[in-house]
Amino acid sequence: MNWQAHLPALLLAVPLLGAFAAPVFNLGGKTLRNVWFITVSTCVFLVAFALWRDVSVNGILVYVMGGEDFALSLPSGMKLPVRIILEIDAMSAFMALAGSITSMAGAWFSVSYMDRFSGMSRFVSLYFLLTLGMLGMMVTGDLFNFFVFLEIASVASYGLVAFWRDKPQAIEASFKYMVMSQIAAMLVLIAVGFLYGRYNLLNMGALGSVMQMGLVEKVSLALLFSALALKCGSFPMYLWIPDAYAEAPASVSCLLVTVSQASLYGLFRVAFSIYGVSLTNSVVAWAIIILGLISMLVAVSMAVVQHEVKRLMAYHAISQTGYMMLGVGIGLLVLGNPEALAEYGFTALKGGVFHIFNHAMYKGLLFLTAGTLFYMTGSRDLNKMGGLIRRSPGTAFMFVIAAAAIAGLPPMNGYTSKLLIYQSSFAVHPFITVVALVTSVLTLASFVKVFQTAFLGPEHKALVNARKVPSTMMVGMGILTVAILLLTFLPGSALSNLVEPAAKALVDQAGYIGAIMGGAF
Amino acid sequence: MWEKILTGFGYWDIYSWLIFLAIAGFFTLWLRNSGRQDYKEGTYQDEIYFSGNDVPEDGADISVPADSAYWGFIKFFTPYYDFMAKFHNGLVQDYVGYFILFIAVLTTLIVFV
Repeated sequence: MNWQAHLPALLLAVPLLGAFAAPVFNLGGKTLRNVWFITVSTCVFLVAFALWRDVSVNGILVYVMGGEDFALSLPSGMKLPVRIILEIDAMSAFMALAGSITSMAGAWFSVSYMDRFSGMSRFVSLYFLLTLGMLGMMVTGDLFNFFVFLEIASVASYGLVAFWRDKPQAIEASFKYMVMSQIAAMLVLIAVGFLYGRYNLLNMGALGSVMQMGLVEKVSLALLFSALALKCGSFPMYLWIPDAYAEAPASVSCLLVTVSQASLYGLFRVAFSIYGVSLTNSVVAWAIIILGLISMLVAVSMAVVQHEVKRLMAYHAISQTGYMMLGVGIGLLVLGNPEALAEYGFTALKGGVFHIFNHAMYKGLLFLTAGTLFYMTGSRDLNKMGGLIRRSPGTAFMFVIAAAAIAGLPPMNGYTSKLLIYQSSFAVHPFITVVALVTSVLTLASFVKVFQTAFLGPEHKALVNARKVPSTMMVGMGILTVAILLLTFLPGSALSNLVEPAAKALVDQAGYIGAIMGGAF
Repeated sequence: MWEKILTGFGYWDIYSWLIFLAIAGFFTLWLRNSGRQDYKEGTYQDEIYFSGNDVPEDGADISVPADSAYWGFIKFFTPYYDFMAKFHNGLVQDYVGYFILFIAVLTTLIVFV
């Protein structure tokens, strides 16, 4: 067995090592700690990329921890999988790749952005623990371990949201997030307990192979759905997000976007891979679609009136989650209808999945540009900004790229994914498309406002001494800008190599189960 | 890599779009260049026209703040925003209440529908 077989374990081991070794490297000084920060985050990206390549070539990877063989999910004649099992299909690898890119960009950005603050060894440790929790949620094949990784990510993010603990607003935001998140986590645990009590199983693939809808399964589904919808920021449970995203350091907000998407991934995994064809009625699919629609419209309407730049962007993060829910919800709606799935359902699914990756890139970049504005001016209030394009044209350029992408302006990557969602949702009902289009118009309106007030116009006297943007912050933003431009100018390649395999993996419940259960399925 | 993206109802081809942008850009520049030729940089022609008044020294005095953007839109939707302000009241006990209500509705729908 070559080392590549251990890539799934390395994906978790590298950030774990990064977290626990950070205080040790901090003893060697700031430079050594920063080198460690950048190196580990780059290694995480390289491992995630190698894993994605491996899955693209060889199909689903199964990695068994604590067993007699890393690749044997059913050892010694056992009929059910009992070990800690990581199962990485194209969807998991896709998510891990997106998460690792934002983590790396955030790390580069943090080096200078957080330089003036104390407690950086704790920051680096928590940052890598957050990365670990997020990646764990994406690659685990076990429902209980999903809960464990969810908790690791949650606890790390409470600390990071409240990192500037001298600010009462940061403490309050973290407290609200903690209360909401812990209730959601307990519901996940109760649902996992219900399913374990019913089937004696925790493995997602194995659960999918025996799932039969009854009262326990329905209640578990409702609890898992509610909890993960809260964590990903769906209406009406998104209320913790504007506070948490606004008060966290910008690089953390950038990473929190993909952490929230990991919960969305969990919701999709539960719906498609565990319940899948057992979902005989369309309540869950319609619930995802309707929540997506309400989330996108309500959140964008709140974003338009914000004058605090990170709060505005936090509302947009919620709004964009609505697009993903809409696209994937339509895919789930027609999962049992091969004709509709082929006609428009799979297109919607591709649009929703593509939007996940796009969103991770441009929303991450927007949070970093918001952080740059704060770094330059010392304020997050747009009313106090103006003419900053003269101070940092590079930041303005990258902001325009990200803003055009999130608004879905052609030819940006956001347009491609939204086009797939618009045209396929029209087949379900034209009203859905109208809501999605109105949301895009309002998104464009609010980013025009940000660009006009922050970057254009005459320079304010108070901003004459605005700080220069350090190169590492530009590199952090540059990583995400390059990713956006690649997705924009190579949309066919991105769809066929990145998105389609992920969307196919999501609907292939038999493949996901078969990789674990093999002949026993 | 270069293929069109089929949506099931049409297609998207970024390269056709870029060609269109290039042509539109060419004509835009051509129109711009066919305007007045007597512009001189650094002369009175560069001065800001501020309704005949003196231009304030601080740019902040002539900037439109973010709060004033889309004033009419916000004014029209005032009842909606008043309601939303109550919904986003910042009280965590209310947030938990919305969450519990959501769970109850969703569980009812999933179990009984």
